[in-house]
Amino acid sequence: MSNFELALWSFPVLLVFVFLRMPIALAMICVGVTGNYLVTGTPAMTLNQLKTLTYGTFSNYSFSIIPLFLFMGQCATLSGMSAALFKVAESFLGHRRGGVAMSAIGACAGFGAICGSSLATAATMGQVALPEMRRCGYPDSLSTGALAAGGTLGILIPPSVILVIYAILAEQNIAKLFLAAFIPGILAALGYMIAISIWVRLFPNAAQTSPRVPWSQRLVLLGRLWPVIVIFVLVIGGIYSGLFTPTEAAAVGAAGTFFAALFGGQMSWTRMKDTILITAGSSAMIFMIILGAGIYNNFLSLTQLPQEAATWVGMQGFSPWSVLAVVLVMYLLFGCVMDSVSMVLLTVPIIFPLMAGLDFAMSPQDFGLWFGILVLIVVEVGLITPPVGLNLFIINALAKTAPISATYRGALPFVVTDMIRVIILAVFPAITLWLV
Amino acid sequence: MQIYRVFHRFAEYLATTLALLGGGVLFGLIVLTCVSILGRALLPLDLGFGPIRGVYDLTELAIAVVIFAFLPWAQLRETHARVDLFRWVIPSRINHALDLVFNATMTLVVAVGSYRLYLGMVDKIAYGETTLIAQIPVWYGYAASLIGAVGFFLIALFCTLRAVRRLMGDGAPDE
Repeated sequence: MSNFELALWSFPVLLVFVFLRMPIALAMICVGVTGNYLVTGTPAMTLNQLKTLTYGTFSNYSFSIIPLFLFMGQCATLSGMSAALFKVAESFLGHRRGGVAMSAIGACAGFGAICGSSLATAATMGQVALPEMRRCGYPDSLSTGALAAGGTLGILIPPSVILVIYAILAEQNIAKLFLAAFIPGILAALGYMIAISIWVRLFPNAAQTSPRVPWSQRLVLLGRLWPVIVIFVLVIGGIYSGLFTPTEAAAVGAAGTFFAALFGGQMSWTRMKDTILITAGSSAMIFMIILGAGIYNNFLSLTQLPQEAATWVGMQGFSPWSVLAVVLVMYLLFGCVMDSVSMVLLTVPIIFPLMAGLDFAMSPQDFGLWFGILVLIVVEVGLITPPVGLNLFIINALAKTAPISATYRGALPFVVTDMIRVIILAVFPAITLWLV
Repeated sequence: MQIYRVFHRFAEYLATTLALLGGGVLFGLIVLTCVSILGRALLPLDLGFGPIRGVYDLTELAIAVVIFAFLPWAQLRETHARVDLFRWVIPSRINHALDLVFNATMTLVVAVGSYRLYLGMVDKIAYGETTLIAQIPVWYGYAASLIGAVGFFLIALFCTLRAVRRLMGDGAPDE
């Protein structure tokens, strides 16, 4: 078997392991190490690399943002800001039809600005907004669907853990990627709100609205959000102005949300312990996948597969746009079953050079940003598509009595707006690149 | 199975302690970074302090130590990402058997990886390699990481035992 065939066969083998519920990181390590052995004929190379590879991977300055952002997001969930955000959003939107659900989306967007993780956003906002939507008589499908979708704003709106990983793999500027994600993130929130307003008009229900809040009151509530605004401006502004490195910004953000939690009155020793343990679980998970993907991609580049695939696609004379469409659809399909971090780490080293070789009539830098945002959106959709959409599970578990089928149904309109948004952003790259 | 309960308690204690220690280091890193930024901001005022020299090196070193310390907890609580698509299709006995195989594989991988990490440390000591800016001996980072790596191995070993018990169907519920 030639090296190239070996690399091709490694995909289905990897998938079989993964579908048998082997931890994804472990599967990548096993297949990568075996592949290396088959290519070089000796385990010596891998064993030699391993002396420095694990430490080298874990002590990467760029990756150090990830645990810091995760810690920041966990502290944000204790800061009480989720409730404050929801109150503000409700004071602006609550009196409209479907307004309470829209408020939940708005609050999720605000929370996404200080939290880089979808699951944390969904879980936190769920605790705040679900009881309120229940009280107002929203059906389970709409309330759980809206919150699951709103949770994805956690990674769509910067800071975002997925964007950090993409930036490192595709060698893109993190500051610019965060900036590029901004308008698409706002569009996402607007899209979700439009979906809600169409839903409540198509299926009028008994859902109540909250009373209209006068402007003076709205401004008072808005003023209570200053910690969110300060933290967001410090982190994103700091990175963009070059005042901080992204890692420094993440550390500042972590300190900021920690203080917000401390003075928000929700921090205790037990909660602090849980915060650390949750950060530990997700950081370790991500770094194991980074390690596994590194080993697996080492093997692939040894076989020249990424280069040959890029050359092959380049020679076929496919239209770049149809290749893009195929790639995005593939991400959507994989997203239904796989978690977003694994998907990005596994595919970007192969897909990015392949796509970058095609001519989309824009500079390589612009392409890197635009493609990154598209990938971010399509992998994020995976969080709210059945059968394995983690946000759906989290919100459904919070809602206790709601059947999972209602949540599946409720998420559908939001998936549709996601699709529409991907198409719009793909066709008009200028929207993404406008702020950059 | 009194002895299993002792192991279980020890594993919980070890993984939690290491994770919290890692969290402590992470927290220290946050403080250090903020102090360094403050120092840099105050530099023009000439108050006699500036940014911390080599905070870049320290960050790299600390993050490696933190992640190694976090790994045992992730292993014990099974937070590693996996695809659950076929979980309900595969009979539970086979799931448990596969789980045992995967846990044993993980233990082997961690054993080899940790031993290699140790050899890497021996190399770094022999070469006297230091970090670029702060000139910290690189092996310090390796040595501190080894604590987490050994913990990871012990926990992986325990998880294999736990998988055996789940396969035999006595106690040890899924977490």
